[in-house]
Amino acid sequence: MNNNTLDLGNTNSPNSLPHFVAKNIIKNFGGIKALNNLNFEVYRGEVMGLVGDNGAGKSTLMKAISGSQLCDSGTFMIDGEEVKISSPQDASKYGIQIVYQDLALCENLDIPANLFLGNEKKLFNYLRFIPNFLLPLDHLSMEESAIESMKNLKVSTIKSMQAKIGFLSGGQRQSIAIARAIKSDSSIVLLDEPTAALGVSQTKEVLDLVLRLKETNHAVVIISHNLNNVFEVCDRITVIRQGENVEVFDKLKSTPDQIVSAITRGT
Amino acid sequence: MNNFLDKIANLRETPLGSFVPVMIALVAIWIYFGINEPIFLSPRNFYYLFMQSAVVGTLAVGVTMVLLLGDIDLSIGAVAGVCAATLAVLTTNMGLYAPYAIIISLLFGAFLGCIMGAIIAYVKIPSFVVTLAGLLGFQGLMMKILGINGAINVRDPIIRSISTTTLPTTIGMVLAIIGVVLFGYLIIRNRSIRSKKNLENETNLVSAVKFLFFSILMIGATILLNLYKGVPILILILLALTFLLGWISTSTSYGRSIFAVGGNAESARRVGISIEFIKISAFGIVGFMAAVGGLIGASRYASVSFNAFAGGPLLLEAIGAAVIGGTSLFGGRGSVWNAILGALVIGSLGNGLDLSGARAADKLMFSGAILLIAVTLDAVSRKK
Repeated sequence: MNNNTLDLGNTNSPNSLPHFVAKNIIKNFGGIKALNNLNFEVYRGEVMGLVGDNGAGKSTLMKAISGSQLCDSGTFMIDGEEVKISSPQDASKYGIQIVYQDLALCENLDIPANLFLGNEKKLFNYLRFIPNFLLPLDHLSMEESAIESMKNLKVSTIKSMQAKIGFLSGGQRQSIAIARAIKSDSSIVLLDEPTAALGVSQTKEVLDLVLRLKETNHAVVIISHNLNNVFEVCDRITVIRQGENVEVFDKLKSTPDQIVSAITRGT
Repeated sequence: MNNFLDKIANLRETPLGSFVPVMIALVAIWIYFGINEPIFLSPRNFYYLFMQSAVVGTLAVGVTMVLLLGDIDLSIGAVAGVCAATLAVLTTNMGLYAPYAIIISLLFGAFLGCIMGAIIAYVKIPSFVVTLAGLLGFQGLMMKILGINGAINVRDPIIRSISTTTLPTTIGMVLAIIGVVLFGYLIIRNRSIRSKKNLENETNLVSAVKFLFFSILMIGATILLNLYKGVPILILILLALTFLLGWISTSTSYGRSIFAVGGNAESARRVGISIEFIKISAFGIVGFMAAVGGLIGASRYASVSFNAFAGGPLLLEAIGAAVIGGTSLFGGRGSVWNAILGALVIGSLGNGLDLSGARAADKLMFSGAILLIAVTLDAVSRKK
C-alpha cells in the first residue's frame, strides 16, 4: 500500500517515532473552538485511549483523522512524514481505519459479503471488456478469507459464515466490523465506543480482540466513556477537555481517579 | 405469540425459506382449482395462464430490482404503456422495421426509468412520489401518443410472432432437459468444490429439494405446454431476462451493492458505493423491463390501448407479485425468480376464479387477502 506504513524496523523499540501524530489541530465551529491546538499520538503495538467528557472534542478529532470532516489547521504525520488527509479515501490510503459506533454493517448480508463490501473479489479479472461491477463474484475465495480472518482474530463463536449479520450478537457484529477494518493493509485502527451496549462476556470478547490487534503491531485508538474498559486494555490514555490536551497518562503510573479528575476538572 | 413469530422469521432465513411459502401458495391454489374446476389443470388453460401472467411477471421481475433498494416504482404500468404506444406508432403509423422499433421502445423505457432514478438519487425525493408523478405524467403521454382513438392496432408480423410462436415440442423438451441437467451439474460441482475447500455445505436434503423443485417445475411445465402448443417464445424471453437479472443481482458486485444499499444505505456509502449510480441504473432496468412488458402486451393483444396499460390493475398486480414472491418492501431482501412465482400465484388466482364464475369483486378481495398474508410474512421476518 504506502511505503510509510510498512516500515516495521523502528516500531518495537520504545524510543522510536510514534506511528501516527496529530499536531496542533484546530477546528472551529463558528465561534466555538472545538479543537484548540490539540496534539495526539499513537505508536504501533500500542493501545491508546482517548477519553474526555461529552463535547470535549473526541468525535471531532476522530472525524478529522478519518478525513470525513476537515480541520482548520494542523498537521498529521505517519512515521514522521507529513500526510494530507482530506477525505475518507485518503485516510484509508494511509492505512487508517475506523470502526464506527454504529458499525456500518449491512444486516441483510452475510459475513463475507460485509467483510468485502465495496471491495469484492472477482473472477475473470482479465476480461477487460466487461465493466468491473458486472464481473462474477468469487464467492468461494471471499468465504475462505472470511474464515481465515475470523480465525486470525480468534473469533470462535460464529458458527456459519453464511449467517446474516442481523442474526448475530452485538459482540459478534463488533468483531466483524473490526475484522473488516483490519483486513486491508491498515496500520491504525480507531474504535469508537466499541463496548457500548455490549454485555459482560461480549465486552470481554471485543477487548480480547483489541489486544490481538496490539499483538499484530497495529496502532489502536479506543474512544470510550467506560474507564474500566479503557484501563483494562489501554497502554496510555490521552485526556482531552474542551478541545485542549489535559495530559497523557501512562496506565501503569496512574489511577482511574486521576483520570476522572482530569476529565472533569482538567488537572 | 412472539415465539411463534420468531420461528417464522428464522424459517424465512433458511435456504429454502424464501421461496417455499410462495411455492406452497401456488400448489395450494392449483390443487384447489384443479379439484373444483377440472378444466383449470388442462394444458390449454395452463398455456393461457402462462401467457396471461407473462406481462405481470415481466413487470414484477423489473420492479423487484428497485424493491431491493427499498424504493418503489409506481410508474411501471404507465411506462409499459408509453413504450407500447411508441412501438405501435413507430410500426403501424410510421412503418418502421419492427426490430428497430423494438430497440427504440426498449431504450426509451430505460431512459424514462433513468430520468426518474436521477431525480430520486440527486434531488432526494422519495421514489414513491417521483414515480407517482411518473404514473400520472406517462399515462397522459401515452394518451398523447395514441391520439384521439385511444388505441392503435399492431399487425406487424414480427411483433405478433413474439406471442404466437411456440418452440417445436421436441426442442422445448430438449431445452428443459438441458436446463435441468445443467442445474444438477452446478449443484454437484458447487458441493464438491466447497467440500474440497472445507467450506460448509448445505445439507443433502436442501440440495435435493432444490433440484426436485426445479426439475419438476421445468419438466412439468414443458410437458403441459407441449400437450397444447409448445413452449411460447414469450416465456423463453421472460426466463432469459429473469436469469440475467437474477445472476446480476446475486453474483456481481453491482447486485451486491443493490442489496447493500437496500440493507443499510449509509454503510454502503461509507464503503464507497455510489448510491446515485445504483439508483439510477436500477430504475433504468425497471424502465427497460417495463418496456419489455409493453412489447409483450402489444404482441399479445395485437393492439395498444389506453385501458390495457393505464390504471391500477397491471401496476398493483406486478408489485403484488413481487411481494408475494417474498421480496421485502423495506428493501434488502428478495429475489427476481420469486417474482415470477408470485406472478403465477396472482395469475392462477385470477384465472381460477374466472373459471369458477367468480365476479371481479371476489377476485379483488382474494388478491387482497393473499397480498396481505405475504406482507405480513415479510414484516414478521423483518423483526429480526
